[in-house]
Amino acid sequence: MGHYVLRRGLQSVVLLWVATLISFSIYQLAPGGPLQFLDQDPRRSAVDVARLKHLYGLDRPIPMQYAAWIAGEDWYARVRGMARWQSGLCAADAGRCSRGIVRLDFGRSFHYQGEPVLNLIAGRIPATFLLAFSSLLISIVIGIPLGIVSALHRGRWPDHTVRVSTVLVSTVPEWWIGLLLLIVLGSYLRVVPLGGMQTIGDGSPGDVLRHLALPATVAAIGGIIGFSRIMRFEMLEVLNQDYVRTARAKGLSPQLVIWRHVLRNALMPFVTGLGGIFLLILSGSVLFEIVFSWPGMGRLTIEAINSRDYPVMMALFVITSFLGIIGVLMVDILYGVVDPRVRYGNGS
Amino acid sequence: MHIFSRSRRLPVVPMIALLALALSACVAPAPASQSIANTPAPAATVAPTVASAPAPTQPATAAPATPPVAPAATVPVSVTAAVSPTVEQSGAALAKALTGGIAVTSTEDVTTPRTRHGGEFHDVATSDAVSFHPYLTTDTASGSYQGMVYTGGMLRLDEKTLEYIPNMAESYTISPDGLTFTFHLRKNMLWSDGQPITANDFKWTYDQVKNPDHAFPYLSQLDFISSYEALDDYTIQVKINEVYAPALGQMSGLITPLPKHVWEKLNWSDPQKNPEINHPTVVSGPYKLASWQRDQSAVFEANDKYWYHGAPNITKHIIEIVPSQDIAYQKLKSGESDTGDITPDNLAEARKLQNITVHEWWPAAAVWSYVGLNTREGRPTSDVNVRRGLSYAIDKNLLTDQIMLGQAKRICSLYPETSWVYNPDVPCYDYNTKDATDAFALAGYTLKDGKMVDKDGKQLTLKLIYGPNTNKTRELIAVSVQDYLSKIGINVQIQGLEWNSYLQAAQSAEPDWDLNLGAWRSTIEPHIMYTIWSESGIPELNMVGYVNKEVERLFQEAGRSYDPAVRKPIYQKIQKIIADDSPYTFLFYNKAWAGVNNRIKGIVPSALGIGWNSEDWYVEGN
Repeated sequence: MGHYVLRRGLQSVVLLWVATLISFSIYQLAPGGPLQFLDQDPRRSAVDVARLKHLYGLDRPIPMQYAAWIAGEDWYARVRGMARWQSGLCAADAGRCSRGIVRLDFGRSFHYQGEPVLNLIAGRIPATFLLAFSSLLISIVIGIPLGIVSALHRGRWPDHTVRVSTVLVSTVPEWWIGLLLLIVLGSYLRVVPLGGMQTIGDGSPGDVLRHLALPATVAAIGGIIGFSRIMRFEMLEVLNQDYVRTARAKGLSPQLVIWRHVLRNALMPFVTGLGGIFLLILSGSVLFEIVFSWPGMGRLTIEAINSRDYPVMMALFVITSFLGIIGVLMVDILYGVVDPRVRYGNGS
Repeated sequence: MHIFSRSRRLPVVPMIALLALALSACVAPAPASQSIANTPAPAATVAPTVASAPAPTQPATAAPATPPVAPAATVPVSVTAAVSPTVEQSGAALAKALTGGIAVTSTEDVTTPRTRHGGEFHDVATSDAVSFHPYLTTDTASGSYQGMVYTGGMLRLDEKTLEYIPNMAESYTISPDGLTFTFHLRKNMLWSDGQPITANDFKWTYDQVKNPDHAFPYLSQLDFISSYEALDDYTIQVKINEVYAPALGQMSGLITPLPKHVWEKLNWSDPQKNPEINHPTVVSGPYKLASWQRDQSAVFEANDKYWYHGAPNITKHIIEIVPSQDIAYQKLKSGESDTGDITPDNLAEARKLQNITVHEWWPAAAVWSYVGLNTREGRPTSDVNVRRGLSYAIDKNLLTDQIMLGQAKRICSLYPETSWVYNPDVPCYDYNTKDATDAFALAGYTLKDGKMVDKDGKQLTLKLIYGPNTNKTRELIAVSVQDYLSKIGINVQIQGLEWNSYLQAAQSAEPDWDLNLGAWRSTIEPHIMYTIWSESGIPELNMVGYVNKEVERLFQEAGRSYDPAVRKPIYQKIQKIIADDSPYTFLFYNKAWAGVNNRIKGIVPSALGIGWNSEDWYVEGN
């Protein structure tokens, strides 16, 4: 088992490294760069642009920039002939040298003028997790019962109602529903705030909850639809299993069959997949954060991409990839624990 | 909406003003004070209009870099404000005086306190500042925040005459040769911690900014200064190498002092080591920063040590970050906010709202739009007759009315009516398909069977590129141009591009397009527009590759004088030549507007916008 975990762990590290290589290249290929804001600014001269490029290390070849991002640049000056690998800021002020992500230094933001990337991200994590957790909770609490009702009344009106309404809702982009609700409920009826996470100067739990209600509900729409469909499907599948028929034949009450045999088994995929679903919701929260001006990582991501803030983009990428890879790894290992076939599957 | 930018506290950088950018300014008709998305603006003097570019970030519009451009200054030249279109001649008087040097002294009493203190102002912005460091940022949102806490420069623009007048300097003199500028600071100015603001703060700040390792993006703007010294605590002497028309405005506008006694112990640019960068505690402006949560809100409280008539009337200024102009407008409508972006689509409705007043003005730093015609060898548009034909073929009046819905005016050359050098007497290419086909005939094209064909019988086909902007203006212009040109048998292929891709294509050294859609924000100082018409501005700023040595010579000549009477005819000549050459089909310039809740009183719109006197605004009842 230890061997299996080690192997999967190493694979994950390699996977993460390859992912950074690809994303770093893709970001560099996108038109524009961190200094694009100067592109059509007549106040700057070509000399200014060249000076800034040098200070920020953008005049170095891309592989060198990648190496600096990985391994840092604080040690170049001590290695003969490598001083030119340093960015101008690092050369002028040792405090501005990046230590590289191998030492968990994600560098400084270009767009936010030297703000450490981790500070920026750390400031956004609570808001993003709050929104993601809340919408996951709402998805579960509403989606799963809907799926159960649908399955138990398969082909009758409750099933049709649920299915038709979920199809209808899913044809409309959720962010648009969000915007619409925001205008109707927030502007005309004034029952919810117009975006944000708290009233300025308030920020009590009740206040945050009031701000959270609409975004969390709208962000849960996709989850509700997905959960209800999966739940319906799983229920129907389990209902057709031999052991259910056997249980019924034994004369168990229908409620007992459903609770003890059907529901438990139908919920299994949710339990194992919950981590992955949560990560999906996290990554999907970008749009909702924008629509509801929710101060989370989604907004930061958009800002970073638009301003070509490479260090922030890369950090967000690495962190989300890391979470994703960890999620998959955990599922794999858990499966390995419960199912020996997975553990020994690779010919060992 | 950062309404608050005004000249008095001009954020440093922005003050420089330059042109604005437009492309960036893609701003669509930027509503007046709106900052739109991310790059909003504060500009300095100009009330924020700003635009923003379409940078993606900005869903809304924002332009990437559009700096607020503040007018660059010049010697007190009078400029015509849109609101009072007469060019005054006081500048000429000044020029005459220059033969013996000049001396300007302010008699304004800046110590009488305001009397209507109290209340809060709720502001909204679609993009947040990135930093309070006045010498690192270039975006308008940051400029506007900085303008709250750091007072402007030694001089400021007068909202009526648009001349530079004493601000932190009580008086100044210019030597007879025009190369030595001496500023005498007011002696009543204090930092918020009670320490005096002195010439040493200016000098220290200047020295830091000049350090090339300190990453000031516009360092080359200071190249014309040969020395900048504090002669004593209240006297600053600046020397320059040669007469440079924008000198006075630039030298006072680029430097707002930082508190030397606090900052000199701290790292200049590292926010991890210098907490003043993102949470300034010792300030010179009308407000102190009370709290700032990125992408959520910023709260400012009146600075009772503020040197200009003491604390501003409104005690608390709150800026809330909202995701879109629509939400900002909803907040304005509902009264949740005292201001909010009004897009052109919402303008008619906003004017009818009972609780809101929509202030409107023709800005001195107007955003104007054009169709750029690629003048490089090998393109059909390299022929001046083709360019003239294209200009004739587009009905610019109708296009302006239909697309801008009355919120813009036709423009015929590079300076709008609001400029003091405006020349009404240039070829305007009024819509006329006969004139258009005549011009094409001179270039060897004939209109045959509804197709404009060259000598070989091949139909003229042009490629037009544009980047998006928020309210679809660009797209509408593109389609209208295509439609007009099809009427004289020209086939236009339109390519709409994502903003950065558009920039890359537009600024390419070897462009594959014939027409592009753009906009610039004009500056009060006409000299700044030089870069977009100079050969050295190719390809980033002079995207159409326009080269005319006579135009360059004239720009340089006008830039070597402080005398408006000398300069004006030269700029008028430049306008005539450029209109003749038609490297752009000039379209229109935008009106600006801002909606403010009626409970806020004391607003006086000028060509600088409404923010110029925001310290005097007050809440009804106070």
